[in-house]
Amino acid sequence: MEKNSKSALIIGAGIAGIQAALDLGDMGIKVHLIEKNPVIGGKMAQLDKTFPTLDCSICILAPKLSECYRHENITLYTLSEVNYVEGTSGNFTVDILKRARYVKEDVCTNCGDCATICPVRGVPNYFDANLKNMAAVYIPFPAAVPPVYIIDKNTCVYLNYGICGLCANICGAEAIDFSQKDEILKIDNVGCIIVAPGYGLLEDVSPLTNYGYGKYKNVVTALEFERLICASGPLEGHLKRLSDGKDPKKLAFLQCIGSRSDRDKKYCSSICCMYSTKAAIIAYEHNNDLESYVFYIDMRAGGKGFQTFLRRGVDEYNIKYIKSKISHIDVDEDDTPVITYEDYDTSEIKQMKVDLAVLATCIIPSQGIEKLADVLGIELNNYNFVKTNPFLPVETSVEGIFTCGCAREPMDIPRSVAEASGAAARAAEVIKGG
Amino acid sequence: MSEKESEDVRIGVFVCSCGTNIGGLINVKEVAEYAKSLPNVVFTEDNLYTCSETGLTQIKNGIREHNLNRVVVASCTPRTHEPLFRDCVKDEGLNEYLFQFVNIRDQCTWVHMKHPKEAFEKAKEVIRMGVAKAAKLEALENIVVDATPTAIVIGGGVTGMTAALSLANQGFETHLVERDDKLGGQLNIINKLFPTGQDASELLGSLKKRVESNPNLTVYTSASVKNIEGFVGNFEIEVEQKGKSIDLTIGVIVVAVGASLLTPTGKFGYDGNIRITQYELEKKLKNNEVKAKDIVMIQCVGARNDERKYCSNVCCMTALKNALLIKEKNPQANITILFRDLYTPGTHYEEYYRRAREAGILFLSYKLEKEPIVEENNVKVFNEYIGEEMSIPYDLLVLSTPLIANSDNKELAQMLKVPLEENKFFLEAHVKLRPMDFATDGIFICGAAKWPVDLTESITQGYAAAGRASTIISHDTIEVEGATSFLPEYNKNLCTGCEICITVCPYKAISKNENDEIEITQVLCKGCGVCGATCTSHAIIIRHFTDEQILSEIYAFGGI
Amino acid sequence: MSFEPKILGFLCNWCSYAGADLAGVSRMQYPPNIRVIRVMCSGRIDPKFIVEALRVGADGVIVLGCHLGDCHYLEGNYEAEKKFDMVKKFLKLIDFDNRVRLDWVSASEGARYASMITEFTDHIKTLGPSPAGGDNPDDEILEELKAIEEAAGSDRMRALVGRERKITEQENVYGETVSLDKFNEIFDLAIKDEYNRHRILGLLEKESKSVKDLAKELKIDSSIVLEHMITLKSRGQVDFGELLGITPTFHKL
Repeated sequence: MEKNSKSALIIGAGIAGIQAALDLGDMGIKVHLIEKNPVIGGKMAQLDKTFPTLDCSICILAPKLSECYRHENITLYTLSEVNYVEGTSGNFTVDILKRARYVKEDVCTNCGDCATICPVRGVPNYFDANLKNMAAVYIPFPAAVPPVYIIDKNTCVYLNYGICGLCANICGAEAIDFSQKDEILKIDNVGCIIVAPGYGLLEDVSPLTNYGYGKYKNVVTALEFERLICASGPLEGHLKRLSDGKDPKKLAFLQCIGSRSDRDKKYCSSICCMYSTKAAIIAYEHNNDLESYVFYIDMRAGGKGFQTFLRRGVDEYNIKYIKSKISHIDVDEDDTPVITYEDYDTSEIKQMKVDLAVLATCIIPSQGIEKLADVLGIELNNYNFVKTNPFLPVETSVEGIFTCGCAREPMDIPRSVAEASGAAARAAEVIKGG
Repeated sequence: MSEKESEDVRIGVFVCSCGTNIGGLINVKEVAEYAKSLPNVVFTEDNLYTCSETGLTQIKNGIREHNLNRVVVASCTPRTHEPLFRDCVKDEGLNEYLFQFVNIRDQCTWVHMKHPKEAFEKAKEVIRMGVAKAAKLEALENIVVDATPTAIVIGGGVTGMTAALSLANQGFETHLVERDDKLGGQLNIINKLFPTGQDASELLGSLKKRVESNPNLTVYTSASVKNIEGFVGNFEIEVEQKGKSIDLTIGVIVVAVGASLLTPTGKFGYDGNIRITQYELEKKLKNNEVKAKDIVMIQCVGARNDERKYCSNVCCMTALKNALLIKEKNPQANITILFRDLYTPGTHYEEYYRRAREAGILFLSYKLEKEPIVEENNVKVFNEYIGEEMSIPYDLLVLSTPLIANSDNKELAQMLKVPLEENKFFLEAHVKLRPMDFATDGIFICGAAKWPVDLTESITQGYAAAGRASTIISHDTIEVEGATSFLPEYNKNLCTGCEICITVCPYKAISKNENDEIEITQVLCKGCGVCGATCTSHAIIIRHFTDEQILSEIYAFGGI
Repeated sequence: MSFEPKILGFLCNWCSYAGADLAGVSRMQYPPNIRVIRVMCSGRIDPKFIVEALRVGADGVIVLGCHLGDCHYLEGNYEAEKKFDMVKKFLKLIDFDNRVRLDWVSASEGARYASMITEFTDHIKTLGPSPAGGDNPDDEILEELKAIEEAAGSDRMRALVGRERKITEQENVYGETVSLDKFNEIFDLAIKDEYNRHRILGLLEKESKSVKDLAKELKIDSSIVLEHMITLKSRGQVDFGELLGITPTFHKL
């Protein structure tokens, strides 16, 4: 195998970061893959299925996760973020802040005894969009990579009050280590950096009160819906109304929630038209009595097979598309959402009652992007995504620092994967050429 | 094969307690004791955690002290832990394929928690099956072939040039083949670029300069690929240039042949004069020939209908760009865009759409069922929002037509043995996660040959294909797992030449050689085993999952 | 004691085996009757594996792969389906078809796996013990299963099933596409014929028999047996034996 003395450092281990890491690793280049969460896989791991192939998301992703974990050229840093960078293209030095997991990564056998005995319950799991609770020692999802538990610093009784330690007692492998501390790791000889922190969602920063989100139980976001309908999610894939547990018969998928809007974000989130259609199709596959309404402004379905997918939605899955603009959502006495909208086909203001309303919320830059940009010295654009030139799509404003995926613009999985391979190629040009 | 493997079969079985996860439900000591009674088993042991350093050391000691030549571990699941144990036996000098995993946690103790007795019996039986298979395991070596560190890029448009340049910059000898007499493809026609407004010729010029001056890159214009033989790392390609034939030995192939433009003959009064396509408009704008005052543009002409279902991605932005250009030059011009769904995804394209609206360009939506009717001097369109038909005068009508697949894609696809999708664009290995790969190793796809894309995405995909291609030719050799399909010498007489194996192989790993014999290109095989299960004369062997091995598990299941 | 069936499962590595693991990780409980053989792809499941499992006493056999369209090896599960369908058609002849099942489980469907195994186990329980299993298996059933295994393994059946997708979905060597109905007609006939031919071969293994005797034992018309004998003779699988009076007997080659 060809030896390259310079390594690449990739920030973010979602599908984009993972693809870039695998490509560079397969080229024989050493990769440091930095992920701030305890597990890798990003948003894609949270999805039930993917459009337009309806592949099970974790089925196609899991082999890549374990490949990443085992790859001889890839070093994985979970619970980590980049703290400081110096140097220039071809020779960066990077400080990584690695937070304590309190579980030894190379010892934990992923048996789960610790979580069984942990007295703390009711810690919401971010991976399940906080719809499922867990213990203070947990693993976000069963197929997680690395397959290692983590102790939640905020709720662990021992870490906060110095008593308990039940998990440490029961762990036969002696993997629990309360003495772990956050640490700074220094990585030098980094030839290139690829910035792939992915995206955030509007609900992370905005209360979405206009749509009754948070107030009405039967108004959920699209990501919550993914978890609700996923076989390994909090409802084991049996979709229910969250207010009364009844099977929903009529669903509404509301597009452009906070996107293409003067009130919130002006841009288009690119992927919602398609994932809403996908969600409606899966819901129908679970329950053939179901009807779905997609409220949209412009149907944005340019990718491969997308138009055919929409047609199938209409012809086979009882989906109706309403060209419209949402005004607001109320509920009736049964907690049933009532949507008020302007129908663009008739220019009338109408109302519709549905059992469950799903909000396609705007994609926003990932949290902490300003700080990261500051550390790296790269520019952001007027929407706070990483700034790129349309004809140098994976280049940031700093030489030797590349970007890919939703860090720079909302985009779907195939495009993120393509950009990741593109960023890897550009990084390889620098590392091999220099 | 090391000495250890050629002797009698000596199996060691290691039963993991996994703390209490297995041992809490079933008595692992008794399970290990039972395993001792099985044929060929010479050593058994139970471990608290077989995967811990202690456990791994116990395996290694077992191999050394008891001269084991097969190792069975009964514990969690091979999906997470097989690589670890394989490495462990390898460290001790045993071939990694002489390891067998038995799942007694995820698919036994964890799922039968209320039935300890049955779980105990099940654990013993699955170990019996695992031991039976282990006895039949054979040592395998990874398959290694040499790879030529060269690349060919077919198609010299912006996508192909980008891919070729990136590969050349990574240090690979790269050949760029363009059918036309000049590089640049569609970029030669285009006037200005969205969303920056930059001249297309400027971008093309600088790209060409870098391509032509790169020492690793050879450009062949007025040339085409005539024949392709071989496989990943070792393709033999014949390129014909102006009647002359050039033979190249190539490691990887990148397909970047682009797409064609649809001419809407017979539609919406198209005449190429005052009723033209967006691309004809580009030329007119370039030559400053647009004098019209009332311009109507119609989107989705020949797209998103029954004949051609797809959305061509680039036409909305092209229309917006050209409308803005006209408006800039002549603010008095009345421009109306008739559209179905305006396709301006993402940040900057949506911004561009806003700009167009703010510039006074009028947008009217229509439905497929009520297409606009083009008359001599005006277009009639039914607008749903207003609920009535409108008549819009024009002195220039511009039709936005989709990109369509090249008519000769089929020939190239046959040469490469890769598939096309229903619209005759090239079909990648997996739409979601392998967007640049073909199912056949060593061949990659990018740009509008795969699906209509704009310039930004063409460039991205050019880089992306270069990145994927580089993963192969960055090494002198290509190495794949030894668990492949295989037609052994002693079975060759069984083969009837029915060729069904060739048709079922998804990776084009099976072919007939010059002697009309079936040949399995080991390096292309992924070991799925479909050919073996299909072979009409049972001649193909699937290594590591041979009939004999699987049958031995079945017999052990039956207690035989 | 209640009947506890022996069930064998063939699981593909990428989806269904992962789904089974997920059931474990999620501690979803199901009956402990199943034993699993892991293969890389459901397309690897040779028809003979399924029949062999029944011959060694499985009360039920379940084959699980990735959902159609999700195959890690692109289309292996479609091939698995064709092969399984063939086995099922053979087994239907001896009323064994409801002891085998093909289904799909994805890596995220732990619950689906658990409920599928529970349901299949219950289903096999209601069917009762396999006559081919237990301490005293029915010899005739074993003979029938042997004939099925051999018929399913014959080059004719393997060629038919191997070409099915190409013939019905693409085109045959003459550039024609055969309709699925037409193909099924040919296929079903082949199933019946090859089964009977291999039953005949099985019966002739021990001793020479006449057409009349064979017809009686197989409970089919002697004219049909005669036709099969002609085919088998032309294939070189049987030949004339001694004469019993004026009745010729056949023996296996």
